[in-house]
Amino acid sequence: MTTRMTMPASRSETVTPTWWVIARQEIAELWLSSKGLGVLFGFTMLLAVLSYLASADAGINLLDARESVGVVVQTAIGLGTLAALVVSADAISGERERGTLEALLVTPVRRGSIVLGKLLAATTMWVASLVVALPFVIVMAHGPGVAADAVAVLGVAGSLVAAALTALGLAVSALAMSNRVSLAVSLTLLLFLAAPGQLPAIQANGPLGIVLVRANPVSAGLQLANNVLVKQQAWADQWPFLISPVGAAVVLSALAVALSSRLELGGSR
Amino acid sequence: MSSVSAENSGDRMLEARELTVNYGTLTAVDRVSIHARAGEIFGLLGPNGAGKTSVIRALTTIVPVAGGTATIDGHALTDAVGVRSSIGVLPESNGYPPAQTASSYLRFHGQLFGLSKAMAEERAGRLLHQFGLGDNRDRIATFSRGMRQRLGLARALINDPAVLFLDEPTLGLDPAGKEEILQHLTQAALERGTCVVLCTHLLDEVERVCDRVAIMHRARIVAEGTVDEVVAAAGIPGYGTIRVAPADWIAADIALRASPAAGSLRFDNTRPGDLDLRLATTDGVRMDILRLLLDAGIEPRSFDFQGARLSEAFLALTGVPQEAG
Repeated sequence: MTTRMTMPASRSETVTPTWWVIARQEIAELWLSSKGLGVLFGFTMLLAVLSYLASADAGINLLDARESVGVVVQTAIGLGTLAALVVSADAISGERERGTLEALLVTPVRRGSIVLGKLLAATTMWVASLVVALPFVIVMAHGPGVAADAVAVLGVAGSLVAAALTALGLAVSALAMSNRVSLAVSLTLLLFLAAPGQLPAIQANGPLGIVLVRANPVSAGLQLANNVLVKQQAWADQWPFLISPVGAAVVLSALAVALSSRLELGGSR
Repeated sequence: MSSVSAENSGDRMLEARELTVNYGTLTAVDRVSIHARAGEIFGLLGPNGAGKTSVIRALTTIVPVAGGTATIDGHALTDAVGVRSSIGVLPESNGYPPAQTASSYLRFHGQLFGLSKAMAEERAGRLLHQFGLGDNRDRIATFSRGMRQRLGLARALINDPAVLFLDEPTLGLDPAGKEEILQHLTQAALERGTCVVLCTHLLDEVERVCDRVAIMHRARIVAEGTVDEVVAAAGIPGYGTIRVAPADWIAADIALRASPAAGSLRFDNTRPGDLDLRLATTDGVRMDILRLLLDAGIEPRSFDFQGARLSEAFLALTGVPQEAG
């Protein structure tokens, strides 16, 4: 006598969407393990030191109050998105290395749902960085009276850049057969994106420099922070600097989900 | 290839025909045809690199097939979601999330198979109890290898699969751990009617639990059938030890040497009266030998016969010695 139970849950029972099941699981793993908390601790320490140096003794700080706020906000965006990139670059290639990917791939969950769940989980790294950065930024921006702008820049530009880089890291992670390769490629791409910020001032202000800065989601986001917080430019004039972060976030997220069909196990026969 | 089974295809849970898997220019699986029925434990054997894991990965839709067809519980491989809903898999190098508990690990996988949270919890609890992990609330990081393998097997059963694929499930386990895993998979086949595909190097295990086996070598199936059929197909002779009265030694020697069934014969001088006999063939020779001795008026005191082992057939078919247990 053999008995097999019936699958799956009846219609009267609530079945959680699988992308959310995966996201919840990934979030728990990220924040229950030392990885998420360790990265967040490093982020907090760096931001704390920088905020102290930027707001402390005028003898060691050559920046005015607005410039200090701009530096702290730009640093928070840079480090926070870097943290999100590092976490997402590990999301799939890390599972491949740890041997947990195969058990996931043999479930009936669609590949797109796996990637979407992991994308959402990796985004929480930025959300946590944002929550940590807000008190620093609000305290520093209180003096020059730009607290609302500083929070808005972090929330809008920072979140868009973080979404783009998180998706980038995940797309690389889906293709890379090892965690080391995934991390190396992701960081190289980030360095490449940060390059326009290193242009000499004359070139940066020239037509090519302006196009490069605006076309690059990272430099565009950082430039927006500088324009609003340091140069006191109106928000209404900043839309050209939001195009590439919005575009990159949408395109790279779609790319990451599209690449899910190529999600492979790799390894030996 | 020697396919020595003739069966009804009606209750076949797994059927692969001419399955081929390529990795670039390398053919890892070359026109492999296998089948297994509900409640059957099917052993897939072969030396390292023979292509066993690739067969499993092809049948579990992890790697694309370059040719051939296969159905799992009536689902063609092209219906990947249907296949994955019908299978449970315990891969050879299965990893575990160290920060999770066994219960949350099983619940998570249950939900991935479309179970509600309550149903996944209920099934996880039942499986954990069945696998002796019911009271364990520790993180998986603290589990021994045996506990992890039991957890992996429980995870593979969370969706009550029609076909269960196990790749080296007893690797690295102590004898008690191996025994426990084998009991669980036998139970799954007998009680749930699960079709179990077992990939292992341990041929003793295979001889004990598998209903049918297939031996792979260099990406192809070289023998398939029951253990006895595969051993017979490999043409491996059996062994026998006949004990006669020392006075009958010479007569027994003459009688046996005249028989084509006796391949070789030698007296064991350390044990007077024993004749170590290697049989030339495997089919029905035991009775022939016995009758021969009785006709010659020799009454054997004992006749211990041992058929050829699967490990010998494996060696003969692949040229690669295999661990016996």
